[in-house]
Amino acid sequence: MDEQELVRQIQEGDEMAFAKIVNIYKDKIVNYLYQFIGDYQRAVDLSQETFMRVYFKANKYKPIAPFSSWIYAIASNLAKTEMKRTQKAPTVSLDDLHNSYSSGAFSENPVETGLTRNIRQSLNLLHPRYRIPVILKDMEGFSLEEIAQILKRPIGTIKARISRGRKYLRRELENVLDEEDKDLEKKENSYGRT
Amino acid sequence: MEELNLLEKLERVKAPPDFEQNVLNLLSARKEKKRARVRNLGLSFAGAVAVLLVCFIVLNVFVFRGKGTLDFSGLEKETPTSSPRGETLRAGDYIPIIEAVDYSREIQRPSYESQTIYILEQVSEERLEKIKY
Repeated sequence: MDEQELVRQIQEGDEMAFAKIVNIYKDKIVNYLYQFIGDYQRAVDLSQETFMRVYFKANKYKPIAPFSSWIYAIASNLAKTEMKRTQKAPTVSLDDLHNSYSSGAFSENPVETGLTRNIRQSLNLLHPRYRIPVILKDMEGFSLEEIAQILKRPIGTIKARISRGRKYLRRELENVLDEEDKDLEKKENSYGRT
Repeated sequence: MEELNLLEKLERVKAPPDFEQNVLNLLSARKEKKRARVRNLGLSFAGAVAVLLVCFIVLNVFVFRGKGTLDFSGLEKETPTSSPRGETLRAGDYIPIIEAVDYSREIQRPSYESQTIYILEQVSEERLEKIKY
């Protein structure tokens, strides 16, 4: 059964069709949101919210675009809103922090070391305007046309943003590596003195 | 490009094993919440309509009943010389008066006789261009 048919069934309120869609897209959406936000637990929560939107807003889906573009568009919008919200109020209660660590909520976070961690750090420093198209293109493998549909922007704009995003990413990565080198030198010097 | 290779090095994550079940549970909870909201909205609307209806009935039966136009004008209670409290009317106070006026006498009836329309035209031997109306 193709996705369009599943969406049509969801529009009629079929939960089985919805479960199939969740099964098809859960890993993709969780991974996409994780790459975008950099926090596994928040990515999972936002993924759940994405699927809720899919179910309750299914009637708004027009089959002129692929379903994947639509679901990624929902996920992107939710992630952008979440990022704005957390930038405005970047506080976390101590209780929440304690509970999330004690419950092992971060156990799914991949252990990143060395270069991977630096890439992640550089990616997080990138503005969402560039980060989203770069992730969609270089990690999720979408074409320029599909990204243009997801972000509702002209292809030229997407192309420019990907190009600039890659450039900024390279620059940020170089900065991060430079800082690491300096830290390493400082440590070596301090060890040399002692 | 170099960045492409670098981004591919980032580890891909998967949804937790109970993700699907959690989504379906969340869906059931949201559906129930939506149903409750619709039900509450209907009850609130019905309650508001009932309150309005009761207010309308109470006002009509206990407040406005038996009060004619004269009551509202205060003509029965207030005399030209004194107020209900016994105070004399001062200059500038006004006394509401309702006067019945028969406008049928004021309007002239149209005549049923045949009417003649006179068209006044200047008759002249002169040329038409010089006729002025």
